[in-house]
Amino acid sequence: MIHNPLLLKEFRQRMRTVRAPIVVTGYFVGMALITFFLLYENVQGQLSLFLPARSEQVFVTLSLLQTIVAAFLTPAFAAGSISGERERRTLAVLLTTPLPPGGILLGKVLSSSALLTLLLVVTLPLYSLVFLFGGAVPQEVIAVFAFQLFTVVLIAAISVMWSTISLRSGWSTVLSYATVTWMVFVTGALGYGLHMIAQRFPMEYFVSEWGDVLLNLNPLWILACIEDPGLGRPLGWLWFVGVYVGFCLLLTIPSVWRLRPQAFRFVPGALRAEEKDYQ
Amino acid sequence: MIYTQNLCKRYGKFTAVDHLNLHVRRGTVFGIVGENGAGKTTTLSMLATLTSPTSGRAYINGFEVSKNPQDVRRCIGYMPDSFGVYDDITAEEYLQFYADCYRVPKALAAQRAKEYLSWVGLEDKRETYVNALSRGMQQRLEIARCLIHDPPVLILDEPASGLDPRSRIEMRGVLNRLRTLGKTIVISSHILQELCEVSDEIGIMREGQLAAVAAVSVMLNHSTAYRTLHIVADAKPVVWEKAVRPLEHVVDLRFKPDGVEVVFAGTLQQQAELLQYLLDHGVTVYQFRERPTDIEELFLRLTEGTVDQS
Repeated sequence: MIHNPLLLKEFRQRMRTVRAPIVVTGYFVGMALITFFLLYENVQGQLSLFLPARSEQVFVTLSLLQTIVAAFLTPAFAAGSISGERERRTLAVLLTTPLPPGGILLGKVLSSSALLTLLLVVTLPLYSLVFLFGGAVPQEVIAVFAFQLFTVVLIAAISVMWSTISLRSGWSTVLSYATVTWMVFVTGALGYGLHMIAQRFPMEYFVSEWGDVLLNLNPLWILACIEDPGLGRPLGWLWFVGVYVGFCLLLTIPSVWRLRPQAFRFVPGALRAEEKDYQ
Repeated sequence: MIYTQNLCKRYGKFTAVDHLNLHVRRGTVFGIVGENGAGKTTTLSMLATLTSPTSGRAYINGFEVSKNPQDVRRCIGYMPDSFGVYDDITAEEYLQFYADCYRVPKALAAQRAKEYLSWVGLEDKRETYVNALSRGMQQRLEIARCLIHDPPVLILDEPASGLDPRSRIEMRGVLNRLRTLGKTIVISSHILQELCEVSDEIGIMREGQLAAVAAVSVMLNHSTAYRTLHIVADAKPVVWEKAVRPLEHVVDLRFKPDGVEVVFAGTLQQQAELLQYLLDHGVTVYQFRERPTDIEELFLRLTEGTVDQS
C-alpha cells in the first residue's frame, strides 16, 4: 500500500482534469445551499429560540443525503477503472510489470475513492454549522464521517471488482449501480416493508427477523442507527461490514483470476480458452 | 536466453501455436516473420506472461514463464502490437510511472527517463502529454518505456505497425540503435525486408509453427550471389528450356506474363555472356535487366526443406 505507483499516477491524472475542481466546487455549493435552506427552515427566520431536536434533524437529513449522493457518485469514478484500462489498451503493458494483482486493485480502489473522500472532507465545515444550533455532538459527526468514508471505499471496491470481472465498462457500470441500488433502495424497501408487516402481525417472528437482516444491509439505516442508537439493533453495523466485506473478498477471487490467470494454474480449467479476449 | 520447448497454445479447437521450438541466443536480435494469424502475437504474449501455454515450456533468462512469471516480468520489456497510452501525464512522468512499477530508484529513473527520451529522439517532448504525441512518437516512447528498467530481454510485437513511411524510417533507426545495447531482442513483423535490416536471425512462422530459421548474414551473402534477370525476348518456352536452363550459371527459370525471370548465379561478365549467347542463337532481346532480389523469395528458397531449429 505504501509503494503503489498506480495510486500516485491516478491521483496525478484525476486531479489534473477540469472535471475534478468542477465536481468538488459543484458538490460543495449544492450541499451548502441545502444546508442553509434546512437551517433557515429550522430557525424560521428568528434567532432567539433554538430547537436542538430540529437541528439534529438537519444533521440527520444532511448526512443521509450526503451518503446517497456519495453512494451513487462512487461507481461513476470506479466502474470503469480496470475495464477502461482494457478498452484503452493499457492493461496488457500494466500486466507485464511485476505489480501484483492486489496492488493493482488496491491502487484503483483508493484512487477512485479519493475524490469522493475529498467531497466528504470539504463538506465537514457545513456540519460544524449545525453545532451552532445544538443537537449533534462531535463524536457523532466523527462516527458518521467514518461510516460514510467506509461506505465510499466499499462501493469503490465493489465497482473496481465488477470492472475487473466484466469485459466492458458498460457492463461494470450496470453491475455497480445494481449493487448500489440493492444496498440503498432494495434492502431499505424490503426491510421496511417486512417491519410494517411484523408490526401488524407481531407473531410473525421470522418476518421481523428478516426485516432486521435486510435493514442492517442498508447504509442509510446504519447511519440512522449511529445517529439514534435506540433505533435498531446494537452492533447492527457489524453485520453490514461483515456481509459487504465478505462479498468484496468473494469478488476478489475472480478479479485476481482475470488479471493473473497463472495464479490459478493448479485449478482445472482456470487457464481458460477465452483469456486472449481479456487484455 | 530464450528457449521454448514444444510450446502450444490452443483456443478451443483452434491451435494458434503448435509445438514451437525456438532458441534465441544471448545478445542476438531474432526476427519472427509471418502472415496475420501465423501465431506471432500469441507466441510473444506467452513469452511476456500475458497468456499461458496450453502445453510445452518457455524459458527466459533461465526462468520458466509459467512457473516464475514474476521473475520473467522483471527481465523483459514488452511492447504489444496494439497499445494505448494514459491521458494527462507527460512523457517523462509516463516513463517514471513504469520505472516505479519495477521499483527503479527515483533518481535513477529520472536519469534513465531523460537518457532514453533523448535516445528515441523525444528529448524536446519531455513535458508534452503522452496523448498529445503522434502515433510514431508514442511508438518510440514505448521503446523507451521497455528500456526504463534495463531488462536483458526485449519483446517487440510489430513495433512499426500502423506507421507512415517517415515514422517507419525513424522507428527503424531506433531499432538499429537497440542492437548496440547488446540486449536479446525478439521482434515480430509481417514484413521480412524490414526485419532483415534489424535482425541477426530470422524465423518464419506458418500456422503456429516455426517453418524455418536462417541467419540474416547467410541470406545477404546469397542475395549477392544470386541475381534475378528479367528478360523480354522473342523466344518460345521450349527454346528457354532447351537452350538456357542447362547453362552452368542458370539456377532457375520462371515464365511471367511480361517476360522470363532467370535466377542467375554468376558474375557480371558471365551475365554479359548470357546475353551474347541469346543473341548468337537468333533470339531478339527487347529487354535485359537485373531485378532487385526479392528477399522473401530468397528466404523461402534458402530454407526450403529445412525444419525447426531446436
